[in-house]
Amino acid sequence: MPELRGSHGPARHHLLTQHFGTADLHTLRGYESTGGYSALKKVLSGMSPEQVTEEVKVSGLRGRGGAGFPTATKWSFVPKDHPGPKYIVCNADESEPGTSKDRYLMENSPHMLVEGIAIACYAIGSHQAWIYIRGEYDEPYQLVRTAIAEATAAGRLGPDAMGAGYAIDIRLYRGHGAYICGEETALLESLEGRRAQPRSRPPFPAVKGAWGKPTALNNVETLSNLPWIVNNGGAAYAAFGTEKSKGTRLLSVSGNVQKPGVYEVELGVSFRHVIMELAGGPPAGRQVKLFWPGGSSAPVLPGDMLDTATDMESLQAAGSMGGSGGVVVMDDRFCVVRAAHRVLKFYAYESCGKCTPCRVGGNWAVRTYERVLAGEGSAADLRLFDRIQAGLASGKCLCGLGDAAGWVIESTLNRFRGEYEEHCLHNTCSVAERELAHA
Amino acid sequence: MPDRQRQPGDLNEQSPPSGEAPKSTAEAAAPGNKPADAPRPPEELTLTIDGHEVKVPKGTLLVEAAKRLGIEIPVFCYHHKLDPVGACRLCLVEIAPGPPKPQTACTTPAADGMVVQTQSPLAVGARADILEFELVNHPLDCPVCDKGGECPLQDYTFRHAYPVSRIDQPRLHFKKPIPLSPNIALDRERCVLCYRCTRYYDEIAWEQELTVGQRGVESYITSEFEQPLTSVFSGNILDLCPVGALTSRVWRFESRPWDMNHQGSICSKCAVGCNVTLWERRRQLVRVTSRENDDIDDGWFCDRGRFDYTHVNDPDRVRLPKVGGRDTSWDEALDALVAGLQGARGDRLGVAIPQDITNEEAFLLSRLLKGPWRGARIGMQNRSSLPPPDGATLMIKDLEKARVIVVIASDTRDDVPIVNLRIKKAVRRGARLVVVHPSELDLDRGPNTARNTLHIRPAEGGTPQALRDLAGNDVLKEGPVAILYGDGRGREDVSVLVKAVAEFAAAVGGEVMPLYRATNERGALAAGVVGAPDDLSGVEAIFCWGPPPSPEGLRGARFVAAWDNFLRPEHGEPAVVIPDVSFAEKQGSYTNLEGRVQFLRPVIPVEPPLRESWELLSELSTRLGVPTDYLGIHHVQRDAAEAVPALRDLADPPPPAGPMRATLIGPARP
Repeated sequence: MPELRGSHGPARHHLLTQHFGTADLHTLRGYESTGGYSALKKVLSGMSPEQVTEEVKVSGLRGRGGAGFPTATKWSFVPKDHPGPKYIVCNADESEPGTSKDRYLMENSPHMLVEGIAIACYAIGSHQAWIYIRGEYDEPYQLVRTAIAEATAAGRLGPDAMGAGYAIDIRLYRGHGAYICGEETALLESLEGRRAQPRSRPPFPAVKGAWGKPTALNNVETLSNLPWIVNNGGAAYAAFGTEKSKGTRLLSVSGNVQKPGVYEVELGVSFRHVIMELAGGPPAGRQVKLFWPGGSSAPVLPGDMLDTATDMESLQAAGSMGGSGGVVVMDDRFCVVRAAHRVLKFYAYESCGKCTPCRVGGNWAVRTYERVLAGEGSAADLRLFDRIQAGLASGKCLCGLGDAAGWVIESTLNRFRGEYEEHCLHNTCSVAERELAHA
Repeated sequence: MPDRQRQPGDLNEQSPPSGEAPKSTAEAAAPGNKPADAPRPPEELTLTIDGHEVKVPKGTLLVEAAKRLGIEIPVFCYHHKLDPVGACRLCLVEIAPGPPKPQTACTTPAADGMVVQTQSPLAVGARADILEFELVNHPLDCPVCDKGGECPLQDYTFRHAYPVSRIDQPRLHFKKPIPLSPNIALDRERCVLCYRCTRYYDEIAWEQELTVGQRGVESYITSEFEQPLTSVFSGNILDLCPVGALTSRVWRFESRPWDMNHQGSICSKCAVGCNVTLWERRRQLVRVTSRENDDIDDGWFCDRGRFDYTHVNDPDRVRLPKVGGRDTSWDEALDALVAGLQGARGDRLGVAIPQDITNEEAFLLSRLLKGPWRGARIGMQNRSSLPPPDGATLMIKDLEKARVIVVIASDTRDDVPIVNLRIKKAVRRGARLVVVHPSELDLDRGPNTARNTLHIRPAEGGTPQALRDLAGNDVLKEGPVAILYGDGRGREDVSVLVKAVAEFAAAVGGEVMPLYRATNERGALAAGVVGAPDDLSGVEAIFCWGPPPSPEGLRGARFVAAWDNFLRPEHGEPAVVIPDVSFAEKQGSYTNLEGRVQFLRPVIPVEPPLRESWELLSELSTRLGVPTDYLGIHHVQRDAAEAVPALRDLADPPPPAGPMRATLIGPARP
């Protein structure tokens, strides 16, 4: 039984995690003892695909992988009358720094994901689904694999799923450690056995996805929500959350907090609640200096914006985004320039190299940071950060990776310009000096 | 994708996933759905680019639409013969309606009412940003770079980049240059990773030889397993490379582009007749590049034509006539030649001719063969044994209209390389392929071979029977059928084969394309110079023009006269040697395998003591009693056009191709 570090047990807003902690929830028997596969049975025996999509539409469910695109709308782009195969691809390549919610879901309730995938298959008229799972996720892989095997052997999946005459087959494909494979089109390239590099869009995967066939790509958390929505109705789901960000979501809180973990919250609660109450706040005597509200790809917010709400609209208004729900907290012991350098190194290293700005810009920025941190900064470097950031930003890159790299520079520079100026103009770091004095 | 991952769950599907997704919706259409040449109403769209309205057919990409207006949108990764990829991001423009961010003009199709701005602050800034990134690690070794002067990176930087450099850090380095093959060098530091070369290898050539190693800023182009490139199509990546990353090792450091003169000419290496540009500097042929002609070569040509030219500049070339091994005058040499051939009459005289004999030369020779040399035996270098075409033959460009392509008794990659690429293009667009050939061919490596290709492997001499068996096959009922046939290279009885092909074509209603091998084989056939099977055995005297057919053939003869660029070991010790001009100096024309007459344009003048070949043949004829007092090649062409119906185009040669314009983006495409 995996250790539970996060939400579990019954609570009004625990839609996904209410049964977490139940003995043997990861087995078919355990899952079904909590009402598992009743949603799939309901769907296959009495609902039309349109009804399922409609229910999801009413629920207002939006993608939990990062972009927050309405799930039912995404499905509706899949052509209904396509003569050949269509696919569901579950993006379980959870590689965004600071994000571990998919892992939490797959480790605790793999059958919930399997059931969700099966529901999605039925909704778009697909008989074939793939789970592209992060290569490092050994335990989730074993658990999901066992869950699929169990469900297939018990007739929940297979050529005659739930005895309703609808064929559903789910396959697992393990990634090999590249961050870019979390990007949906690079994921498809990798799934097809090619070099993982994003494709130019349009055409979007919904029209031309895996092997050129219509493909709906959904995140693990998105799909895991489907059984609850089917069982309780879209309207019940829509009762949670804000006007535009419905329902609950899992936030993976990590960094300088006392109780890191995966917390299911109703969308719209504040980050102060998440960080200070659920995760226990920073170590005693420390202040939250900044936090990434949605994984390292989301622009940082300073500690004085803790009252920002978790829904996507509030985050957008605050100049950030909901992203993957990875909340990374940094307290006042740490230098923001150094942190930005570390995050940027990640993006430069993980750049696939296909498009020019991301391939060159990330590395150029890293080298500029290195020069500044080595005490050789100048006013020119300050302007250079701005330049590189502008070159990466606003859709100049083929996919979002370059944007994210640009945001790291842009958000830290704009929010903490003083610290950048210390480094670039005076080659000092007040944070490091203060910590030295403290020690 | 390996088969093990094909899914049994796709219960309602006809076709399981395969490793290759179709590249466009047009290709996704199942073969046979709709013949490619069915009349489709051209749907026109109107859009505005920088305030100018332009009408384009539906599906036109914005870069192409801009070309129609003469507006330059810079590109590296985009190439009009390759699938769009959107990798370099240099073509960013602002599009309304659309999100307030720059978008790639190379992947965005035009839409009705679209308003495109290439000169808005957003677009101009975006392109300048990309160019700055391109130069961050570029070595800027333009002064010693072969591409300098004809380099899009230079020109785009000049026109579109920031005026001031902000790059003050050490550049990243790679080991260089890397020899990709004996002919091609790779400089990874200059590379902008547009992937044109690797995409060409995948999409056009179907060869698995070139790929990308590593990722991110460490990405580099590499040959597979670091083995040398062996493909006969490798040289086209030199023309595709938009920077100095891929350079010709044959030409490397030979000259600056602006120091060269050039002429649009025709490749002399096979019967396809690819259009090429010959580049000259100081009377030396220094480079051969492609000259796009969509009717014939589609912008490609093979390595034989591209790299096999250095003999033109060889200091050992024969420049003076010789008699008995001693330099002499033209008069004396021609006298000795006439005297030596005198005794040999009828089939005791042998005449070897080079594969790249021009139509004009063939016509002049035909007059000798009708007169003093009547009955002489003829051997043409590299000739197939196919007879002259019986009726109309298929044009190369019409291969793209075929839904089924049948390739019979020919390894097209060896026989007619650039036709082979056109077959691949048609197949990639959805045509079915039927190969009747004993061995595994490169055509069996297609993206959809398993579903698309039927390969029949007849035993020796079994092709006619295989064709009779094939005629009823359902595959051939899918639409226009193109039938390409070679001579089987000695494995088939050609007369039986040709008859079987004709019956097959009649049975399935297909158009035929005989695959002649020698450069001007079809012109020589039309002029009546060749026809009977090549056989020079047992001749008394031999007039050996071009490379000797075989050492044995010359050894038996009592008298050998050689007309060639070189004295070769196979010549033995010829009594008379006459210097020949090369394809870079020659005037004249070739008839390619589809019957098209195309004109050579010399880039190097014929300087004394060399003499034009038509002039020499004309004088030889006069000495042999056939008065041919031509003042210029145009007179030969006029007479040939009158005398030979297939050569009627000779009467009206088109003007030479004008000087190459400095278009970086290629000509506007319809």
